[in-house]
Amino acid sequence: MPRLADPRFAPDCVIRLDGRLVPARTGESVASALLAADRPLLGRSSKYHRPRGPFCLSASCACCFVRIDGVPNLRACESTCRDGQVVETQNTLGGAAHDLLGAIDLLAPRGIDHHHLATFSRAANRLAVRTSRRLAGLGRFSDRSPDPWQAGPEEWFEAVVVGGGPAGLGAAAALAGAGRRILLCDRGEKLGGRLRCRLELGGDPPLAWAGEVAESVKGAGGEVAPRTVAVGLWPREGGPMAALVEHREGRIRLVRSRRWVLACGTWAQPPLFPGNDLPGIHAARGLLVALAEDGVLPGERVAVLGEGAEAEATRDRFRAAGVEASSVRGEVVRARGRRRLAALDLADGSWVRCDALAVATPRMPAAELAREVSARLALDPETGAFRVEPGPGGAVAPGVFAAGEVAGPCGGAEAAAAGRRCGEAALDG
Amino acid sequence: MAKTIACSCEDVTAEDIRRAFQRGYRDLESVKRYTGLGTGPCQGKSCLAVATRELLRLGATAGEVAPFTVRPPLHPLPLGALAALDPEPLPLDEGVPRESDLAKGAPPAPPPLPTRARVVIVGGGIMGLGLAYHLCRRGESDVLVLERGYLAAGASGRNGGGVRAQWSTPTLVRLARRSLEICQRFAAEMGINVWFRRSGYLFLAPTPEHRRRIERAAELQNQLGLRTRILSPAEALRIVPQLDATRFEAASWNPDDAVVFPWPFLWGYAARAERLGARIHPFTRVTGFESSSGRIVAVGTDRGRIACDTVVNASGAWSRQVAALAGVSLPNKPVRHEILATEPLKPWLEPLVSVLGNGLYFSQTLRGELVGGMGDPEEPEGLESGSTLRFLVRFARAMNECAPATAGLKVLRQWSGCYDVTPDNNPILGAAGFPNFLQLSGFVGHGFMMAPAVTEAMAAWMAGDKPDEIFERFTLQRFARTEVTREDFIIG
Repeated sequence: MPRLADPRFAPDCVIRLDGRLVPARTGESVASALLAADRPLLGRSSKYHRPRGPFCLSASCACCFVRIDGVPNLRACESTCRDGQVVETQNTLGGAAHDLLGAIDLLAPRGIDHHHLATFSRAANRLAVRTSRRLAGLGRFSDRSPDPWQAGPEEWFEAVVVGGGPAGLGAAAALAGAGRRILLCDRGEKLGGRLRCRLELGGDPPLAWAGEVAESVKGAGGEVAPRTVAVGLWPREGGPMAALVEHREGRIRLVRSRRWVLACGTWAQPPLFPGNDLPGIHAARGLLVALAEDGVLPGERVAVLGEGAEAEATRDRFRAAGVEASSVRGEVVRARGRRRLAALDLADGSWVRCDALAVATPRMPAAELAREVSARLALDPETGAFRVEPGPGGAVAPGVFAAGEVAGPCGGAEAAAAGRRCGEAALDG
Repeated sequence: MAKTIACSCEDVTAEDIRRAFQRGYRDLESVKRYTGLGTGPCQGKSCLAVATRELLRLGATAGEVAPFTVRPPLHPLPLGALAALDPEPLPLDEGVPRESDLAKGAPPAPPPLPTRARVVIVGGGIMGLGLAYHLCRRGESDVLVLERGYLAAGASGRNGGGVRAQWSTPTLVRLARRSLEICQRFAAEMGINVWFRRSGYLFLAPTPEHRRRIERAAELQNQLGLRTRILSPAEALRIVPQLDATRFEAASWNPDDAVVFPWPFLWGYAARAERLGARIHPFTRVTGFESSSGRIVAVGTDRGRIACDTVVNASGAWSRQVAALAGVSLPNKPVRHEILATEPLKPWLEPLVSVLGNGLYFSQTLRGELVGGMGDPEEPEGLESGSTLRFLVRFARAMNECAPATAGLKVLRQWSGCYDVTPDNNPILGAAGFPNFLQLSGFVGHGFMMAPAVTEAMAAWMAGDKPDEIFERFTLQRFARTEVTREDFIIG
């Protein structure tokens, strides 16, 4: 069963994927519904037409782009299901499963050097340009005129906290506790960030804390805004301004404050071995949220990649859900499978049979907002990730603080404490 | 399945990163441009760390892997959302990021800088590299190109890639036609794809006055042999069905104009020039000039002094700064122009469309993105490189008027570059201040498309051939005379 047999997770509507009916739950993500229906293949990649399916499950990668109700290039993981929705795979000739253009990948096993392709004659080059143009692009132009967007006048808050994971909650608790009118926004469907994985690692605050903080924010006259993405942060005289976007309701807001706490967390990073982009390879945190909130089981045999407490807890969580789950011991040298993951080959010659891989290796700090206001960065040469390096008190720029995993790997308790310190520092600011 | 994908948006493999590194692209900005990594819909969130790790493993230093510039929007954002905002209260400030990507910790470029070169070209954009190539072809291979950033760091790496012959003076029409010829043959002759596509250019005339302007220009262009036609709004709609026909009076259409992908021109010119003996040094900043007996005798840089016979100033928006180092005053002004790219879609837009009046322009690249920009009349002079929200909103509103069906297009990234603006919108060519200090600047946003023809002519002139008339007309001295003729087909 690809979905937990729990009445809470029983489908209540039907969506279509390329014409085929898929049972779904109203309000869950399209990616959850399709994974639960054992349909991880959602399209083909841009150049080689390789199979693509949801990876990050948290709207940072672009592997789950589909066409929904005539609108191209929407992430299945950030679009919600409703009855009768029409979902189509993209960039295929003859369907995602048997895409004829998949031959490009097979015929060019070492890749295509597009800079030097067909440069031997003008005629060949003209043909290459014509062909490339026809093959380029992912989705087709929208056949629906979009709904109008709402925008209001510039809004001021006493402080804005970006990110509702443990660090952001810590900051919001400190600020709202002191009676400040703040905005707490988060990209996710609900507050909690990584706490939504429900791993309850040592010292992690419970997810219920997110609800308490939300109440406290509202009690102090502030606002909690889930599903809200900060698309930019611009320094301005008197206090930086962010543009915040709520896609589902079609609302864009300009928000200003003299105090910002950036607790943006991390982005999932794909592993690096041949076949690393096969459908069935997913970020562990995304899978855990889908399991906890939608009852989604990504496969029958789940392998977990990564070391440390989070990886082990991920494996145990899948076992507890009744799935055969194992930790990958040793270096993966390739992933096998044609349209979805079937097995992993290891360096010692052994292999692991699995139809899903939960990637619990280090993630990359989501430093973009902090970088827009010139935060200092530090490089971790082991992972290649750049983390924000806050100064004393968590400040990264005048009036802007950063806390939690955006400033480097840390546990949930540590992040909450760092967030609280930033919130307190922002009180003084 | 044997490929290891480092960037799943653009299908860039770990092998592609290795190949780029072996070609000498060691910094992340160059690797990003050469491989396409980080330019897709995820906006670099899934590949930055992977690419950094790979480059470090291959032997790059920590200084070389400074992360590529981060620019808004950080999440795909529909034009319709931006158009809902009011641009008026939004300031035209320096934008973000505040640090210039050119100012990044520059890797020391191996090999060591030579101490002498007959010709030193300041600026590794298409002008400088194109000139280096043509000089080498004519037998002058003792050429050294100095670039302060990575190749493509300036306007050559930041423009919209349009190449058109629709101009309003015979000189520019002639030069642009020559450029189009060169662009068409570039891939086969230089061995690198520039994705030249005769898309056509469609100029929209929103007022009767603009209509008269395109009619006058079309008449001239027809006399010079171009196929330009004036179209009614209904005819224009047959070329771009998404246009709002009530918003313009007429359109000027030339099916022979084209779009290209700008970056490979630089790589192609650079690779061929180097093969013919030229030396190219990125990440090298010119700090001053030495003169003696009325001639420049050496160029000072942050990596050492180079004795030389001739200096060419091809530094685009930095031309005035560079000339000032030699005590020469140029009237050029740098003015920022912003531009953006959207999600990649299957082909839906054939030509480059430009609206006279507000300066909006847009086309669909060969990768499927809409790339477009628009000037801001309030933009002050300055070498700003940041991205503003004001531009996004103004562009989205202008697109909404021009082609309302594009409201759902999602913006993926914005960036900016600087126009090199002269008082009459025409370039400054030839000696200035010293007989051996040659200018190749002031192209006001059309330098990229003119460069193939102009650099060819400049090399011929430097080699002593009968000079093209441009070297007599577009001198610095013309500004001392009373009357100058302005080019009025500048867009953007």
